[in-house]
Amino acid sequence: MCSLTEPAIRTAGLAKRFGGFDALHPLDLEVGREEVVGYLGPNGAGKTVTVRLLLGLLRPTAGRAEIFGIDAHRNTVEAHRRLAYVPGEASLWPSLTGAETLHLLGRVQGQVDEAYQRELVERFALDPSKKVRAYSKGNRQKLCLIAALSSRADLLLLDEPTSGLDPLMEQEFRRAIVEAKDAGQSVFLSSHILSEVEALCDRVAILRAGRLVEVGTLAELRHLSALTVQATLRDPPPDVTGMAGVTDVEVDGRRLRCHITGPVGPLLDALAPAGVLQLTSREPSLEELFLAHYGGGE
Amino acid sequence: MTGRVVAGLAARRAIRGGAAWGAVFALVVASTAVGFESAYGTVEARQQLVRTLGGNAGIQALFGVTRDISTVKGFTAWRCLGVLPLVGAIWALLHATRTLQGEEDSGRLELLLAGPTTRAGAGVAAMAGMAAGLVAMFAVTAAGVLAVTGTGGFGVTAGLYFAVALVAAPAMFLAVGSLTSQLATTRRQAAAMAGGVFGVAYAIRLVADSGSGLRWLRWASPLGWVESLRPLTGSRPLALVPIAGLTLGLSAAAIVVNGARDYGTGALPASDTGPLRAGLLESAWRFSARLTRPRAVGWAAAIGLMAAVVGLVAKSVGEAATESEGFAEIIQRLGGRSGGAEAYLGLSFTIVAALLAFQAAGHVAATREEEADGQLDNLLVRPLSRSRWLLGRVATAFAALAAVSVLAGLASWVTAASQDTGVGLGRLLSAGMNVLPPAVLVLALGTLAHAVAPRRAVALTYGLVAWSFLVELVGSLVNASHWLLDLSLFHHIAPVPAVDPRWDTAALYVVLAAAAGAISLVAFNRRDLVGA
Repeated sequence: MCSLTEPAIRTAGLAKRFGGFDALHPLDLEVGREEVVGYLGPNGAGKTVTVRLLLGLLRPTAGRAEIFGIDAHRNTVEAHRRLAYVPGEASLWPSLTGAETLHLLGRVQGQVDEAYQRELVERFALDPSKKVRAYSKGNRQKLCLIAALSSRADLLLLDEPTSGLDPLMEQEFRRAIVEAKDAGQSVFLSSHILSEVEALCDRVAILRAGRLVEVGTLAELRHLSALTVQATLRDPPPDVTGMAGVTDVEVDGRRLRCHITGPVGPLLDALAPAGVLQLTSREPSLEELFLAHYGGGE
Repeated sequence: MTGRVVAGLAARRAIRGGAAWGAVFALVVASTAVGFESAYGTVEARQQLVRTLGGNAGIQALFGVTRDISTVKGFTAWRCLGVLPLVGAIWALLHATRTLQGEEDSGRLELLLAGPTTRAGAGVAAMAGMAAGLVAMFAVTAAGVLAVTGTGGFGVTAGLYFAVALVAAPAMFLAVGSLTSQLATTRRQAAAMAGGVFGVAYAIRLVADSGSGLRWLRWASPLGWVESLRPLTGSRPLALVPIAGLTLGLSAAAIVVNGARDYGTGALPASDTGPLRAGLLESAWRFSARLTRPRAVGWAAAIGLMAAVVGLVAKSVGEAATESEGFAEIIQRLGGRSGGAEAYLGLSFTIVAALLAFQAAGHVAATREEEADGQLDNLLVRPLSRSRWLLGRVATAFAALAAVSVLAGLASWVTAASQDTGVGLGRLLSAGMNVLPPAVLVLALGTLAHAVAPRRAVALTYGLVAWSFLVELVGSLVNASHWLLDLSLFHHIAPVPAVDPRWDTAALYVVLAAAAGAISLVAFNRRDLVGA
């Protein structure tokens, strides 16, 4: 039923409407095998709705979702054999201990790498004899992460998985994701933490108000965006406003700062006569890309 | 400031619940008073009523001793005081534990405690809010009572005293729930402890009123104090002293213990660690059993205890009752054929039927809560189908109900046999099994509500049981129209062992339940999972 070339995730026109509110407009998205894709968007953009649709916990209003070519809604159980999921807010049974929770989730999952699980418990510094009731939010989060990672499932669906983790554990999480990728697993990482996405993801999809506004590799996204150029000149800077691709020009004495999209040559030609003492140019960070998409409001 | 917010939140919820139950109380009081006039209009009818009920120790054990029941006010006081305090007490203990321990359990209280208040202050404020709910309950009840002073033939002062008597048990059990909330670590534990207190109080009252010369025992039970108030029939306000003493004493104790413990922990020791008990974690179905077990054990204890007490007193009650003239009539009306003990057991098992139906509603609520709290997500994102999960939960609940129903028959037989009551094991087991079908139907209809309207399922399910219980209660005394009675789940159940079980009705219940269950499985598969 699922050939070896089917992507880990494929959605076609996947949409969800609650009452009169479009939580997700028709979404077409693919996550390839062995690929790590970051899913970005502000609060309420529809990230969690997307993940819950992929899991079959919500029924789509239109369209379909496939996990390795298996329909996520008609054949949910089969689809779930191939994936593991970590929620952003871990809601577990308070009377179970950590070890009991891992045991239960492992049995229901049907596949566990026990050795790897023990290693992860060690690495995430979790005391599994404690009851879930007594765990902090971060520790409950670790429990869900360990359960999902130790399943070694082909696809990891992670919905803001590091909320509540301290920086050391965040590092440990990143290492585990790199291991997963090296082992050939696919990862779909919905996140707010841009540095995390930047460090881990091959591709990024950006969602706003239930619509996909951008998909691509970080390099592609950067290419579409402006470079920041900053120059210190010997003479007063020439007027570059109005040049093709140049925006946001700021002049401060002998210093000039601007954004440019497209070829940089004409700008350099214009600056050269004023005597360039120092020149820096920088690609935008993911944070700047993100803010460029959302900062302007609608 | 924050204290006022806490008090306001608690008050809003308590007033809503208190006023709603007050309205039920008012309705029952008014309909009883009005219904009495039409049902027992003639002198002969009233004399017959005194003969039947006055001599029926079984009914007296369950609902309290009759007094002046040939008058409107005497009958109304007996009938209402026999049932409403029990309903009110159960509401009160659940409400108190939910308000105090439930908010803490869920972490919501933490948000408020971060404001300018202390934990002790917030505790006092929440209890003040509950007191407001009690006042609302009293006000609405009193309005209902005062509306029928003319029909009832009593004055305003007597009416107000009656309303006080009706809310006395809720007041005491709000205090009981407040204290157990401080002792236990979780809401469920707190509710179970308070429920245990209620069960013991009711059992003592039941023994005291069973006509076995243990009448003094009534003073050992808070519910006995309520009965001793004797509203409308020669008031004895002295009984208000222990009632007020218990309410204020337990409330004060709750405040003191609350101030002395840490947030998020009970005053009683509870362990935060535990060994790996994997036996019931091997599959989703076994895990259902683990989640269902505490609730099932609690109900088994409560219903088993009640059945044991009923069995213990059946013989003496039956003997006392057979001597009365009217008793034969009752048995005949029930279609019965044998002695007093069996008739008494038959009536008692209709109460077991109601309790078992409440247990069924509790299982439905627990299943829904697992979804609402998001715990279910952890299972359904793994290779486990929704139908399989739901079937597991329903099957476990069914097994629990069946076990408790058999236990009820068994427990009553053990104690009845110890007194040489002469009712066989087979008849008492079938009495136990006989109350299973309505509970199973509640389970199935509740599951259907869960599958179709998840956010309303809990209210609908408890509403169905409460409705059936009230219809049975009101309908049995005001010659209610048949279609109204037909809408009660308990009306079609024969009072076994006084008469033979109606297997056709039982079969119909089971078929309906199976149909509702099948539809639930399909419907649950087709909807979104929804949180609280």
